[in-house]
Amino acid sequence: MPKKLRIGVDVGGTFTDFVLLNEETGEVHFWKSLTDYSDIADAIVKGMEALTGKHGFRLEDVAHVAHATTLVTNAIIERRGARVGLITTRGFRDTLEIGREARYDIYDLFLERPDPLVPRELRCEVHERIDAKGTVVHRLREEDVTAALDLFERRSVEAIAVAFMHSYLNTDHERHVRRLIHDRMPGIPVSLSSDVAPEIREYERTNTACANAYVQPIVRTYLSSLGERLRKVGFSGSLQLMFSEGGMTTARIACDEPIKLIESGPAAGAMASVYFANVANVRDVISFDMGGTTAKMCLLENGEPRRSNEFEAARAKRFKKGSGLPLKLPVIDLIEIGAGGGSIAHLNAMGLPKVGPVSAGSKPGPACYGLGGTKPTVTDANLVLGYLSPKNSLGGKVQLDLGKAANAIRDVIADALETTTVEGAAGIHDIVNEAMASATRMYLTENGKDPSKQSLLAFGGAGPSHAFGIARRLGIDRIIIPPGAGVMSALGMLVSSPTTTVSRSHMSRLSLIDWAELTAMFREMEDAGRALLIDAGTADGDIIFERSADLRFAGQGFEVCAPVPLGTFDAGSRQAIEDSFIQAYEALFGRRIEGVEIEATTWRLRAKSAPRDLNLRFPVATMNGSPQKGSRKVWFSESGYVDCKILDRLFMPPGFECLGPAIVEETETTIVAGPGSRLSVDPSLNVIIDLGPGTH
Amino acid sequence: MLATTDTKPISDIDLEIMWSRLISIADEAAIALKRTAFSTIVRESNDYAVVLLDENAANLAENSSAVPSFVGVLPRTLSSLLKITPPEEWHPGDCVVTNDPWLGTGHLPDLVVASPVYFKSKLIGFVASVAHLPDIGGTSLSATCHDVFEEGLRIPPMKLLDGGKANANLLDLIRANVRVADQVIPDIFAQISAHSVAQKGLCNFLAATGLSDLSRVSGALQAKSEAAMGRAIMELPDGEYRAVVKADGYGDRETEIHCCLRVDGANLSVDYSGTSPQVNFGINSVLNYTYSYTVYPLKCALDPETPHNEGSYKTIKVHAPEGSILNPVFPAPCNARHLTGQLLAGAIFECLAQAAPDRILAESGSAPSLRAMFSGARADGERFSQMLMCSGGMGASARGDGLSCMPFPTNTGAGSIEMFEGAAPLLIQRKELLASSGGQGCFRGGLGQEIEIEAVGKRPIQVSLMVERTKYPARGLQGGGNGSPAKAALGNGVSLDPKSRVELHPGETITLSFAGGGGFGNPAERSQALIASDKASGYTA
Repeated sequence: MPKKLRIGVDVGGTFTDFVLLNEETGEVHFWKSLTDYSDIADAIVKGMEALTGKHGFRLEDVAHVAHATTLVTNAIIERRGARVGLITTRGFRDTLEIGREARYDIYDLFLERPDPLVPRELRCEVHERIDAKGTVVHRLREEDVTAALDLFERRSVEAIAVAFMHSYLNTDHERHVRRLIHDRMPGIPVSLSSDVAPEIREYERTNTACANAYVQPIVRTYLSSLGERLRKVGFSGSLQLMFSEGGMTTARIACDEPIKLIESGPAAGAMASVYFANVANVRDVISFDMGGTTAKMCLLENGEPRRSNEFEAARAKRFKKGSGLPLKLPVIDLIEIGAGGGSIAHLNAMGLPKVGPVSAGSKPGPACYGLGGTKPTVTDANLVLGYLSPKNSLGGKVQLDLGKAANAIRDVIADALETTTVEGAAGIHDIVNEAMASATRMYLTENGKDPSKQSLLAFGGAGPSHAFGIARRLGIDRIIIPPGAGVMSALGMLVSSPTTTVSRSHMSRLSLIDWAELTAMFREMEDAGRALLIDAGTADGDIIFERSADLRFAGQGFEVCAPVPLGTFDAGSRQAIEDSFIQAYEALFGRRIEGVEIEATTWRLRAKSAPRDLNLRFPVATMNGSPQKGSRKVWFSESGYVDCKILDRLFMPPGFECLGPAIVEETETTIVAGPGSRLSVDPSLNVIIDLGPGTH
Repeated sequence: MLATTDTKPISDIDLEIMWSRLISIADEAAIALKRTAFSTIVRESNDYAVVLLDENAANLAENSSAVPSFVGVLPRTLSSLLKITPPEEWHPGDCVVTNDPWLGTGHLPDLVVASPVYFKSKLIGFVASVAHLPDIGGTSLSATCHDVFEEGLRIPPMKLLDGGKANANLLDLIRANVRVADQVIPDIFAQISAHSVAQKGLCNFLAATGLSDLSRVSGALQAKSEAAMGRAIMELPDGEYRAVVKADGYGDRETEIHCCLRVDGANLSVDYSGTSPQVNFGINSVLNYTYSYTVYPLKCALDPETPHNEGSYKTIKVHAPEGSILNPVFPAPCNARHLTGQLLAGAIFECLAQAAPDRILAESGSAPSLRAMFSGARADGERFSQMLMCSGGMGASARGDGLSCMPFPTNTGAGSIEMFEGAAPLLIQRKELLASSGGQGCFRGGLGQEIEIEAVGKRPIQVSLMVERTKYPARGLQGGGNGSPAKAALGNGVSLDPKSRVELHPGETITLSFAGGGGFGNPAERSQALIASDKASGYTA
């Protein structure tokens, strides 16, 4: 019997989510278990057995297991990675430590920087040099490599990174060193900067190579143990992982470039948003995921998430740009804000109320959890305002204590501000919404986008409760809340296809490019991309290529990524590339510049499998009964407390419509639709909230 | 959206939301400026600022990463502009520019742009910005000029836009006087685009809050910031604290900065009487720049958390005697003003060390910034001009070691060496931490660095040096030792004049040593663990 099942697994901070897809019928089933950090592989196997068993299937029927993991990001944040040795060009062993030479907070005299991933005593220099044209100035001196490896052996190094100046142009010396290492220390993982991040800018490239080496041993151990466990219980399909750029890859490739798993979970969530945005037939969308400690925003344009080629890991000051380790790798470009249900409200030195970024977490949690927390949180405010029900939260698993929530807000906020508890609660709700809206406005400004022209796709435990307030602040007309909002990341893996990105730095003015050479370079990149995708199970005919380039006006210090035509380049390609760049530039900056030469720095190839035709069917569609299960007092800023209808999402069929204010409850989240809005359910079971013109 | 009107008082909750919104409007405008600017100096070095002001030219909010040297200047500039052009003579779509050092930020490359904001046909405030233009004619950036006329084009306050219409004469004049007009003109328009973002943001803000103008919110915000700074000053013991900072100056003319900081309740004054007279070289710091680099370190030390606005510095007075290097009179040269102005943080901190030693840093080796400009022609004949932007070490504090290779008080980042080598026929032979360059102490100063650069083309390369701290290294505090001095030398060991122009021939190298930061506290009290880890990592020899 052909295998027809796919399973997506997202190992998150608190829960591990599972989604089972039957490809024959489109039926989708969910499962959740508490994350067990002591043995994650075991928890995954048990969850898969439970989920398949519950629906009458066997693990043998599963063709693919797709996995998103926080292993890499946590290893870097908690500094649990390997002991790495770094080999650099002579004169440059401190590049990794000196970094960009800028303070991320101009008023903090005592700011801290993250320590480099490789300490100075494990950074060795060797005599070699390549110049900015890729020409060898000094040949590699092998004795220096030998001396470095002597030291690494003495110091029991577990992985090695190699990063030479201008190696993105000429990989010979780095590859030579790898051969020397293999001969001497077979089996030790080696990360070359020219493999991991073949791009100009020595600090970011070196850092990326070191980060890759740093997580390689633990990822290898974990994936081989998971693979073995799965085989033992009868699974014979393929194990895939979610890369940060929003595409699937195989366990083998993930072991070579594990750093690309760093944004695995958030990428999976964004890819699920892409699926639902397409189903809801909206083009320009902000994906909004709000959980217990953070909120994430991601811009989707024409069915694709916005991507970036840089990511900052392990920020020394939470959410502060510039305080982390910059990495060069393809990622989905999303912003993270320190705002979640657990974010704590407090008064600052001036007596003004602030919310977050500190979170009460799950222990002690918000005051209303009754687990000993006394600090007021966003969840406490939402409870006081009537957005959350004391009975129904987390699917009835947690009883929320309204009295404790109100007391915390009164004691810490309302009394000090000489206002009522409910005004204090509304303040907390509004302040956290403003923080998210402000960050979103800036993110959109950076990308040349107008917030009011977007739709908001909200999910996560707290997202649907805050979407209405944020949409009003941003002038957004439409909110979409997909079904399965609580397991979006796990769903994202089922709707994503294998993808890989290959890049090469090749700096040249377009007027001076050797087009035959560029064509040959892209052919080589395409061969590399094709091989990886075929390895991941994609048929040759199903592979789609996309080319792009980082371009700039000659003399500018930054690049804009713009699409580049496929096929063989010739002299006519220059015009097409220039037009594409000017168009992208104008979209970002609202103006064009004439008469300045354009130059390219890095060329990129994205190879992906043709998207599968999916039509997911969610279990919620089967319920019959009255959607309205009651009413309660709910507070809105324009009206104060009003009697508000409470709906049960399980009983809201496609075509259902009503006017706000309304609260929709479901197992993992609660939807708030304020006065003046119109709420409906579309044929794919998305809940749609339309904000009337008077709502803003 | 907010339940406030002109009659209802502004609650603390509303004020918090309005405050974040105003800062976010300034930040959005700053992003627009940065993204549309053409030159690397704005983009990579963040050498710009955007400020929202009320109708009385009081600062409401500024972008959160505004460059410290611009902090506090724009309201002063706008006040001067309003004396020249009273509010009733501004019109929608107007835009006034000036780069006069005495009106603006103290040297010609910084262009101040100001635009009025109208809401429902009423003038409710202004947007002002400043950005460092890539060129302003004259001798380019150097300390060697004898008056401001040599230093470049000086633009008195003029309307660049008059009712939305561009002043073509002025643009032609600028274009004719600068080296890279294709970068300068677009950068000016980037400032104008940023203003339209802020103007739109302010109008939306008023529409959403139900306020008819900015005066009430401005008053409320200023009161909060003034009170916060006042409280911080109150915590200092009343008294008079003095410091003297000596500097290389120019040639054999060393300079001295005399600083007297007085605390009296919630009031604080800084008096630079006794400071050296102005000199005929471009290291004079005009009063606006002196003011910025006086209030900035005070804010860092006393009240770093509160967002800055006009209220922040209401209780702070700054005096520098006219005709001194901290308040030079026209037409003093001032293009390399940072070589003097950036020393003020050290003077202020030395004074505060006597009152609140746990809140300050020892002197930083990165102040003043060591700059080297390399120019010449590439093999293909094309001209290049590349500034090497790197930093020495920051000073140590009572809380920890100084950061190595980190700018302070300015915040200009370093670019990539690979990019640098791609733009000019130069090969960097090494760029490494300078061991033992941080001053000793219970906490040691941040390390400086040493960079060796080789000319690899076929033609000689001009190097313009702006180097301080060759004779006077960054001093330690509370018993901490001094950092290592800065130095510029040729590969053959010959020392170079720190403020000069030299020629580097193919095959020759130049070595730049960036100063280390001062140490803090008695070196005998340094923990054994830190001593051992410094040794293991080679931070100390």
